[in-house]
Amino acid sequence: MVEIKNLSKYYGRNPAVKGIDFEIRDNEILGFLGPNGAGKSTTMNIIAGYLPSTGGTVTINGFDITEQASEAKKCIGYLPEIPPVYPDMRVEEYLNFVAGLKGVPKAERKQQIESSMERLHITDMRRRLIRNLSKGYKQRVGFAQALLGNPKILILDEPTVGLDPTQVMEVRNLILELKKDHSIIFSSHILAEVSAVCERVVIINKGEIMAIDTIENLERSMTADTVLNLTAEGDKEKIIRLLKDIRGVINISSIQEISEHKNLYQIELQNESVRNEIMSVLLNNQCSIIEITLAKLSLEQVFLKLTSQGKKRTSLQDLLTEMPEQPDNPYHEEV
Amino acid sequence: MFSLYKKELQAFFYSPFAYVLTALFMLIFSFVFITSIASMDSNVFKFSFPDIFYNNFFYFIFIIPILTMRSFADERRGGTEVLLLTSPLSVAQIVLAKFFSIVTVFLVMMISSLFFPIWTAYTGQVMWSSLICAYIGFFLWGLVCIAVGMLLSSLTGNAIISAILGEIVMEGALLADSLGGTALVNAYPQLDSVIKWVSMQRRFIYFSQGMFRLEDLVFFLSATAVVICWNIIAIEKRRWSHN
Repeated sequence: MVEIKNLSKYYGRNPAVKGIDFEIRDNEILGFLGPNGAGKSTTMNIIAGYLPSTGGTVTINGFDITEQASEAKKCIGYLPEIPPVYPDMRVEEYLNFVAGLKGVPKAERKQQIESSMERLHITDMRRRLIRNLSKGYKQRVGFAQALLGNPKILILDEPTVGLDPTQVMEVRNLILELKKDHSIIFSSHILAEVSAVCERVVIINKGEIMAIDTIENLERSMTADTVLNLTAEGDKEKIIRLLKDIRGVINISSIQEISEHKNLYQIELQNESVRNEIMSVLLNNQCSIIEITLAKLSLEQVFLKLTSQGKKRTSLQDLLTEMPEQPDNPYHEEV
Repeated sequence: MFSLYKKELQAFFYSPFAYVLTALFMLIFSFVFITSIASMDSNVFKFSFPDIFYNNFFYFIFIIPILTMRSFADERRGGTEVLLLTSPLSVAQIVLAKFFSIVTVFLVMMISSLFFPIWTAYTGQVMWSSLICAYIGFFLWGLVCIAVGMLLSSLTGNAIISAILGEIVMEGALLADSLGGTALVNAYPQLDSVIKWVSMQRRFIYFSQGMFRLEDLVFFLSATAVVICWNIIAIEKRRWSHN
């Protein structure tokens, strides 16, 4: 288990990370999300013990990363953004070196190297010079290195960058498989990947945590009952004109054509009571409603929304308190 | 720590790097050796190995920065520094492992240079006692230069620049040494005594004369230790103020 308390890092006077707290539980995959320059790599470098923090503590399985560095580092497998491989070494030779560096006993070394090479499907490449490998293979060698020494905690900084779609799938499956006996923190700016693999996510922006929660909760919490997705059949211009004439409709955005005369409109409302009026107006004007749903934000939109707001939220509770009260409504999901 | 030491040695010997440098070292040595024989007084068939070492060092001092230039600069450039610093090894262990690997290459060079005295011993006589002293002096002087070269490599982060800086520092040290005897410095006795005290060249001369002084041994070893500590601190400092 990893506990991060009040962690901050300044580069000179510039803050990179401003007092963040979170934890990585046992056998959990924690997604670490943020736009470029948000402080993801800095945080991961601090957790892995590469950079010292300016303030706060990182405890790894009970060992402080600065006070008991050697013990703490033995529990960590780290794959940095750029795989730390030596181009002049052969794959097996390199893994053997890293195993020695991590203090894996000689008797176990061979077996561990074999199993990590098998897991990453690089057994065929064992005699190849790393400089001659493709980017994807280098990434895998870097990943294999992180698994040596059977660390309980894996820190993976954008592990799928540079991989082709099949390899991305393989790495995802590997991460899911590793979950059985590891705690994994995994950073990415590809949201689909995070949704596919992680249970909980930490969203960070400008060195501050914007949200920590499960993906479902985040998506749900961001569902606003004042934004509707309406699919209706009828003349587009006419429907827009009708909708705009209704009092309480603030905006109609992102109109997508589904088929001829069938369009999807996103409507922003002043309050929920306008929903009934929308339906009656449309029906009275011979426009058929195919579907009305509450606009549910995808993780992508949640991410954009959170990272574009300057305000700090530390928990789901904070998020919920900012949301308008949700009354029981008869048109909850679909009509 | 041994793994890192082994890996560093492999990097030297699996590539032509160590061989080319050893060949260069041997070339310089043989060049100095031949000129010593050629300039020999025709009546007394005598030349001194310590002198050869002394002359050799002026060339050799420029090989050391090439030997050390990659030690930390390449790790930083290739992003492999992260691997070392996140391993359970301490910074001190990392620096020492690298230091000893370069010292090993240096020892290989010195052992290969034994060819000349052994060859001479076949055809004439060699004063082994003074030769051994010269070897010890040469080795100790080399240790300090290796430590300085490594420090520069970890400070600059670019192998070529660290090599060039190394040449400048080595040249500067030689120049400072030779300033010691000039009239300009003699005018300030305190300054002169300081220069004489830190002068490695002067201390080497004692060794080459067959004198093994504890003072010189302590000087060379402590100078090496100080520079190695400086290197450790420099790496720690960079971690704190990371660009």
